[in-house]
Amino acid sequence: MSMSFNDQLVAVLPRLRRFARGLTGSAVEADDLVQAACERALARTHQFQAGTRFDSWMFRIVQTVWIDQIRARDIRRTESEDAARQVGSDESVRRVEARMALREVQAAIVTLPPEQRAALLLVTVEGLSYKEAAEVAAVPVGTIMSRLARARLALQAKFETGGALRGSTGDAKAE
Amino acid sequence: MQRPSDEILIAFLDGELAESERTRIAQALAEDEVLRDHAARLTEGAGLIRSAFDEVLREPVPERLIDAARSPESVTQLRRIMALLQRWRAEIGERPWWIAVPVAASFLGLVVGGGFGYFAGSQQGATFAAQQAALTSASGANWLDSIAGYHKLFVNAGPDDRQLMDVPADSKDDAIRKASQLPADFRLPDLKPWGLAFQGARFLMVDGQPATQLFYTTDNDKLGPVTLVVGNSPKPDLAPTFDRRDDVNLLYWRHHGHFYVVVGAASIGYLWNIHNDIAWQLDAI
Repeated sequence: MSMSFNDQLVAVLPRLRRFARGLTGSAVEADDLVQAACERALARTHQFQAGTRFDSWMFRIVQTVWIDQIRARDIRRTESEDAARQVGSDESVRRVEARMALREVQAAIVTLPPEQRAALLLVTVEGLSYKEAAEVAAVPVGTIMSRLARARLALQAKFETGGALRGSTGDAKAE
Repeated sequence: MQRPSDEILIAFLDGELAESERTRIAQALAEDEVLRDHAARLTEGAGLIRSAFDEVLREPVPERLIDAARSPESVTQLRRIMALLQRWRAEIGERPWWIAVPVAASFLGLVVGGGFGYFAGSQQGATFAAQQAALTSASGANWLDSIAGYHKLFVNAGPDDRQLMDVPADSKDDAIRKASQLPADFRLPDLKPWGLAFQGARFLMVDGQPATQLFYTTDNDKLGPVTLVVGNSPKPDLAPTFDRRDDVNLLYWRHHGHFYVVVGAASIGYLWNIHNDIAWQLDAI
């Protein structure tokens, strides 16, 4: 076990938290998930293959732990946490309207089916290629492609109904 | 031409299609305004999705997570062994002491073995970190973040901030090429037909590679300042691909060992047409 393995794990924590936040839709559950993933990763360091991406390996662990939790119905979201997720702290809600719009986007993502949500977060938010996302999710590339398209179109419909998109149509046509 | 499916269009926008497919979709986009608008909206949606989670990256990471990540494997291993011993002890109860000997021996072996493993691992630490940095930068999208950031730096500073320029506006193609690492046949793109005036150039490092950022400004509010970033890339050719960072649109492509990125707050339709002009002038299609 090298120290740099731990350092890499610490370095990737913000992105793991972002990924987990997108999966769970809750700050508290996301951090619990990341902690469980760290513990699992440290217990299975021997399974990490040299020459492969460490962040992808960790995303896979986070996703696996999350699926395990869903299957085992370990998640017991309390009403207070739910409320916190939906409206944030009072201060943040009052601060800027834009932030509210972003929270609406987060809330919309949480309504996607879990497998679409994971594909969307891995590719669109974390910047993994389709191939890398397919390896993380342990599915063929074509499956990632279709999950991602379904997720993007579903969200697009929500954004356009909710007015989240400013609409570049007018500008493009103005040419 | 048959309109591509949403699945294919999204894969195109994500830069995931093979060369032949990319050319076909790029052509369809050039010819079909409705499709171009749909692509622009999808790109904007992707930007919104990315932005939605940006704040998580700026939050302080809780101590408990740092502790969990820094916890040495020996501690994790020790916890597992102690839990195992407790379970065995409960099972063994008051049985003779010699039953515990193999357990103690295996415990000692694990700890000693773990120590050697730690030492060997430390020697490989630097290699591991370097490998990961290379792997991550090879396929990550962070280089676009940098380019969008450089664009904002220019916009915020304004064209009067001469300190930002490594090469002034009145420089010739040859001077810019010699000062930077641009292609030998580089010609400064003339964007005057768009009302864009060249203001100078700056040298950057993007994704570990030297690159040159060319600044253009205009009085046209709908277009706004535009930057073109040109650099070397060992990656294969890539058809024009849209992306977005906050309020900045990016259109990038690769051709014959070089990458090109047109950056601006203007609509993607504008950037697409400017890209066509630049690519034609630089013969980079």
